[in-house]
Amino acid sequence: MERGFPKPRTKEAADPGVGGQGLRRRRLSERKLALLFVTPALGLLALTLLWPLVLAVDLSLRDVRFIGKPGEFVGLANYTDVLGEARFWQSGLRSLIWVAGNAVVQTALALAAALVLHQSFPGVRIARVWVLLTWIVPTVVVVIIWRWLLSNSGGMINPLLVQAGLLEAPVGFFSSRESAMTTLVLINSWRWFPFVTLMILAALTRIPGDLDEAARMDGAGAWQRFRRITWPLLQPTLSVLLVVGTLLSFNVFDIIWLTTAGGPSGGTQTLPVLIYETAFKGYELSRAAAISVLTGLALMGFAIAASRSMTREEGA
Amino acid sequence: MKQSLPLRLLLAVTILFFLLLIGLPFWWVISGSFKLPQEIIAREPTLVPQSFTLQHYAKLLDASAYPTYLVNSLIVGLASSVLTVLLAVPAAYAFFRMELPFREGMYRAILLAYAFPGVIVLIPIYGLFAQLGLVDNLLALIIVNTTFALPFSIWMMRSFLATIPRDLEEAARMDGAPTPVILRRILVPLILPGVAAVGVFAFISSWTEYLFASVLILSDDKRTVPVGFAGIIGQYQIDWGLLLAGASLAILPVVIIFSLVGRAFVSGLTDGAVK
Repeated sequence: MERGFPKPRTKEAADPGVGGQGLRRRRLSERKLALLFVTPALGLLALTLLWPLVLAVDLSLRDVRFIGKPGEFVGLANYTDVLGEARFWQSGLRSLIWVAGNAVVQTALALAAALVLHQSFPGVRIARVWVLLTWIVPTVVVVIIWRWLLSNSGGMINPLLVQAGLLEAPVGFFSSRESAMTTLVLINSWRWFPFVTLMILAALTRIPGDLDEAARMDGAGAWQRFRRITWPLLQPTLSVLLVVGTLLSFNVFDIIWLTTAGGPSGGTQTLPVLIYETAFKGYELSRAAAISVLTGLALMGFAIAASRSMTREEGA
Repeated sequence: MKQSLPLRLLLAVTILFFLLLIGLPFWWVISGSFKLPQEIIAREPTLVPQSFTLQHYAKLLDASAYPTYLVNSLIVGLASSVLTVLLAVPAAYAFFRMELPFREGMYRAILLAYAFPGVIVLIPIYGLFAQLGLVDNLLALIIVNTTFALPFSIWMMRSFLATIPRDLEEAARMDGAPTPVILRRILVPLILPGVAAVGVFAFISSWTEYLFASVLILSDDKRTVPVGFAGIIGQYQIDWGLLLAGASLAILPVVIIFSLVGRAFVSGLTDGAVK
């Protein structure tokens, strides 16, 4: 703050009593004002995230069947129940597969798209905006698009694949657990890869161009330049994206719920789907809260471990 | 920049691939919404429509509650957007431009909130809002959507604030202008693109939100498009024409908004990204 005030400071030095006090008073009022500015935002987050988190823990220690009834205190009974259930562990495993599949597909698509958008070609500025199209439409639209395109009544994908010789006969993309999971990962990646694309594009634009130019002058081919310059310099961004992306795709509920509702026979029931079903289909609110708390702890553990390993890499 | 021929070919093929990957599904759905039912479910799908009808739109707007859902979604989206801007802009200013105690800790908390899994607090929020009498009230969705848009919005404002020279503020400060006046007269006009970007982000998140809207709203006339429309899927025996028309209409508002301020939004996303 003081940097831009050469004049007042000299005055201050000449008359420390008056100027110093005035400055201090102004700083104090600025701090107050700054607090005033952040309070509404932080207050809202505290009321709608932090406080419900506390309530979730409380709920998980009771036996609540109906919202509004306090429910008996049962200690850790819900937790032992949940941890003893195969369903919980299976959903956890499915969430892992879901997150890993999304990470691979989205990173591959996004990297390719970002490298393309980093070049100059006619219409690139428009392309950089509209690449986000799949990300800005409601999930329910994404779901309808793909349910129709993949369906056997008028869907385009089956005839296309048959014509291309990739399939012998039309298939049901959601009929087996494995293919339902694979298809959902692809649909969700279709929706989310543009967001990752822009993040990678941002990192690409920050790589100094003369580095690439120098390598080109030395006769390095395109692949070599990518391998030796672009790829290493993208690493920090990619690892941050991996952490944020993991959390964001873990959270995905609506695409799964609206496409398969967790089926067939639980094949796409990830943890968010399990929580939703337990709470709002089975009305076992406390048990759902226990799953929520366990899930939250696991994610927090992941986030801490990931950011630790990233700082370690930075240090090395 | 000069590229070799094979590289340019690779570039062209990749561009075509992404153009088809993103564009073709939308083309099929939007053109499909104008096809006659028998063409929609034809065994040999058509790329160029062979028939034209508005019957699906007529049915959607007359015989279903879709118009109500649209209005509700617009109300919730616009209100969340305004509220997010009102909360995010001063907060971001305090974070990135003012002397703020506990800045680091608060900023970390904000980042953590960004990737927060909403489903974890779904049940307690339902309970809390039930106590406050907010269940089955659009206000509940406005509050929740603002909450989830806020962390990312504050973070996005950072890049816009960074583009404004500090000298400008300080000159005004030297002239004795109080901070709120500086904020309103000097900064807000300069960061309007940022404000637009935050507004668009909040609107889009609200426009697409399904989870909380499906739980916190009980009566049909208060449903938003994602939930109401998802209800239509199951309600009738799958009437693809109706669904395609509904999907096309749900795409329209975000496309209009995006064509107006999409560029500001994208620069907000990329300029301040992952630093």
